[in-house]
Amino acid sequence: MYKPASPSMDYTADHKSAFKQPERNAIISGDRTSPISVILVSSGSRGNKLLFRYPFQRVSENTSSSANKQRSPYALNTAGDAADDQDGDSREQTPLTDEQLVAGFSDIILATILATKSDMCGKKFELKIDNVRFVGHPTLLQSPHTIQVSKTDPSPKREMPTMILFSVVFALRANADPSVISCMHNLSRRIAIALQHEERRCQYLTREAKLMLAVQDEVTTMTETDGTPQSPFRQILPKCKLARDLKEAYDSLCTTGVVRLHINNWLEVSFCLPHKIHRVGGNHIPPEALESSLKAIRPYHALLLLDNEKTLLAQLPLDCSPALVRLVKTCSAVKNLQQLAQDADLALLQIFQIAAHLVYWGKAIIVYPLCENNVYMLSPHANIRLYSPLAEQFAQQFPGHDLPSMLAKFSLPISLSEFRNPLDAPMHEAQLIQMVVWMLQRRLLIQLHTYACLLVPPTEDEEHGLKEEEPLLAARLGGRSLSTPNALSFGSPTSSDDMTLTSPSMDNSSSELLPGSDSPLNKRMTETLLASLTEQERQGILSVPAAQSPEDLRMFARLLHYFRGHHHLEEIMYNENMRRSQLKTLFDKFRSVLVVTNHEDPVISIFQSPPE
Amino acid sequence: MGTKSRIECIFFSEFHPTLGPKITYQVPEEYISRELFDTVQVYIITKPELQNKLITVTAMGKKLIGCPVCIEHKKYSRNALLFNLGLVCDAQTKTCALEPIVKKLSGYLTTLELESGFISNEESKQKLLPIMSTLLEDLNADGSCTLPIDESNTIHLKLIELRKDPVIVQEYDVPVFTQNKDYFIKTQWDLTTQQILPYIDGYRHIQKISAEADVELNLVRIAVQNLLYYDVVTLVSIFQYSNVYCTTPNVQTLIDDKSLQEECLDYVCKAGQRASLRDVFLLYCGLTPGTTVRDLCSRYSLQLQRVDERKLIQFGLTKDLIRRLQKYPVKVIRDERSRPPRLYTGCHSYDEICCKTGMSYRELDERLENDPNIIICWK
Repeated sequence: MYKPASPSMDYTADHKSAFKQPERNAIISGDRTSPISVILVSSGSRGNKLLFRYPFQRVSENTSSSANKQRSPYALNTAGDAADDQDGDSREQTPLTDEQLVAGFSDIILATILATKSDMCGKKFELKIDNVRFVGHPTLLQSPHTIQVSKTDPSPKREMPTMILFSVVFALRANADPSVISCMHNLSRRIAIALQHEERRCQYLTREAKLMLAVQDEVTTMTETDGTPQSPFRQILPKCKLARDLKEAYDSLCTTGVVRLHINNWLEVSFCLPHKIHRVGGNHIPPEALESSLKAIRPYHALLLLDNEKTLLAQLPLDCSPALVRLVKTCSAVKNLQQLAQDADLALLQIFQIAAHLVYWGKAIIVYPLCENNVYMLSPHANIRLYSPLAEQFAQQFPGHDLPSMLAKFSLPISLSEFRNPLDAPMHEAQLIQMVVWMLQRRLLIQLHTYACLLVPPTEDEEHGLKEEEPLLAARLGGRSLSTPNALSFGSPTSSDDMTLTSPSMDNSSSELLPGSDSPLNKRMTETLLASLTEQERQGILSVPAAQSPEDLRMFARLLHYFRGHHHLEEIMYNENMRRSQLKTLFDKFRSVLVVTNHEDPVISIFQSPPE
Repeated sequence: MGTKSRIECIFFSEFHPTLGPKITYQVPEEYISRELFDTVQVYIITKPELQNKLITVTAMGKKLIGCPVCIEHKKYSRNALLFNLGLVCDAQTKTCALEPIVKKLSGYLTTLELESGFISNEESKQKLLPIMSTLLEDLNADGSCTLPIDESNTIHLKLIELRKDPVIVQEYDVPVFTQNKDYFIKTQWDLTTQQILPYIDGYRHIQKISAEADVELNLVRIAVQNLLYYDVVTLVSIFQYSNVYCTTPNVQTLIDDKSLQEECLDYVCKAGQRASLRDVFLLYCGLTPGTTVRDLCSRYSLQLQRVDERKLIQFGLTKDLIRRLQKYPVKVIRDERSRPPRLYTGCHSYDEICCKTGMSYRELDERLENDPNIIICWK
């Protein structure tokens, strides 16, 4: 929460170790993406019960200690405190830690508020109390009327009393990101589905609940006789698998963000929190941005695994799809997705889906396939610190080289071909590729692409303010759709035919094959293409010396719709099946009407330079 | 999801001695269905542990925000008066800004009850209904409400939008006004801000402002951070002719967005002159790694006849069309005996080092360019 900074804050942090910064950032943002607590409640014929919570409350306040006068950190804010504060702004003098926030709620009150009525079941449950937000997915175990049936059911060991509903609730800080809340709800729902299934199959949940309540009763009686307060939940852990699973889920969410549970040692529940996995430079990539990027990837992109193949394969579950395994084994940084589809013998659609899945789980990123013409530059978020863990890893992996020196080479945009020295041994080149891949995996480099935009120099009339209103360039040139399949086009049934393995091309590329560049057909085509421009633009283009050559003019006209700054050179090369040298020459010839610039591809830049 | 949090309904709920929890008044009428109230009543009229806490519960597509109050006294039947004045919004609305209002209202009602039995007295309780109507109307219309309740009490409420936390302001950052400085009403701000205001011209950095305005450095930082929070200023880097910039993918928005084009041309063109979009776009695209602003001036002198390069850079930075490439020195080789580098670690840019040590850019450059142990990274 932003408070105006006090002058006593230490601004001169430079004398502290360089390490402090990233850790502090991690902790602060970890706060917002980690849960504070996980709680299991149930409601049934025995009323509302809190079955388990983790982390445990430490020695809780007892009625005997009359803590209402004492300012114990676990005491609730009594009504007296708040009434004094007319504005009702700040409530606590010392900011409570996360644990204390939730520890302040007793088991009984949590059971009352979290075990909802049955009409709230099957939907997202969200409750905010002061600084704590509870989210869960209350689930009905059985509709009330079936309880009657079970009474007459002669099957043995039907536990009475029965549980009607239960809920796995996560407590978060109130200012958690809405997407984090959504994710936690998702996890709660997944666990609930697994538990519901196991309950129907073998009454797993009822049995575990019975154990938990039994231990709680035991500890309560012990406390009454001994007088030493203990946390019943600590005793529950060794006896209940479900309690251990919930603890594991909580611990994983707070650390790696990857949860893998085996409910009743049988059903697998897996989940990942993208906010923890996709961290670049201390910020997380918001899931919505991730998703929109994934929708825009093209067949000419490539999939770069973030781990080596063996490690990744070892992490996959036993019953994973063979397509996924094949993809992991065949993918490489130099192969684009279309080639990957060919090599792995899978449909392009499948490749897109599996690639998106791997990216979502933080196992891979999308890049442009590595080749010697690729131009790379240092990412603005790259960690170039002298003593960072990255520098150490680099030195271990590539002995004799140090990371900062290597990174300095990319200070100016440089293509891989410029590194090549004919006197070097061939293995130097291979090592260079490895180093570049290593740096890409750690988001140290960005790739620059060339974009061209049509901007005709203004005529004299314009300069004197006689320009008429014209619609934007994009609107005029944007009408044509490209037939390159991308992930978005997979919705429509007609596009499924396009997902062949041939390089798609524009409908009028056939004009290339027609003999005689001066044929009337070609001239007509050029005219039509130029028709969408304003008169002044047309004049501007035609006045370029290169426009005298009909072939050049035709090529230019054909590529016109790429020249609005949103399609880079490599994309034009791929779509139009042209060579880089052809395009570069064309750009050069028409440079008086084109403006060319280099920057990263916004579609995949999210993996290198996430939005602040 | 609108930025304005629209209140759909205001309700007043209490614990009736015989009927139990019920909604006594709600505007508009019948908004909260019987079903909805049954589902959420445990969060409205609550157990003692939850009293005086802001409770927001989402159910059946609606969000209910309330603060349950309990006043204990022998004079009440059941020895306690329990009530809750709450708001109802659509489940998708962001309701953080409404929370202080609910809290304040519960405070007001508590005071009124303790002073004059406003709620327990059936006659005065009826005044609640018109009060709630006015609240609903005014809060939805202006986001504020001033309402006299009786001769001695008036309610003042205001919806304050929450913004995201601003970054820490460094000494080498330069604040730039996001809108015309003339629209700024000085007297609304604190004394420190008023004192530094004349020195914020989009070119002076924090350290310079502090020196010239004679205000302590940290105070200037705080004041500017405050202005940043309210989006009055944005931060850019110091302008020097030796600076290097490069384009971002956003630069293409200059082509796509007509209003941005207009704004840009108005801002960057020299007085009395009008450059073309092509000129300006050429200039921006002329900014590449390795090209200083000085280089740009000599290459594109024709275009720069009509364009002010400082304003060009300033506009480009504030609209994220270009970004600055900073130099970071890293000391890679050193003797075993010497101390670990303090500033040449790759964490501190030239801007920062110059600010902290008082060296000029050129001095620093001369010192470092010739040092074989130091490599420079640009990013």
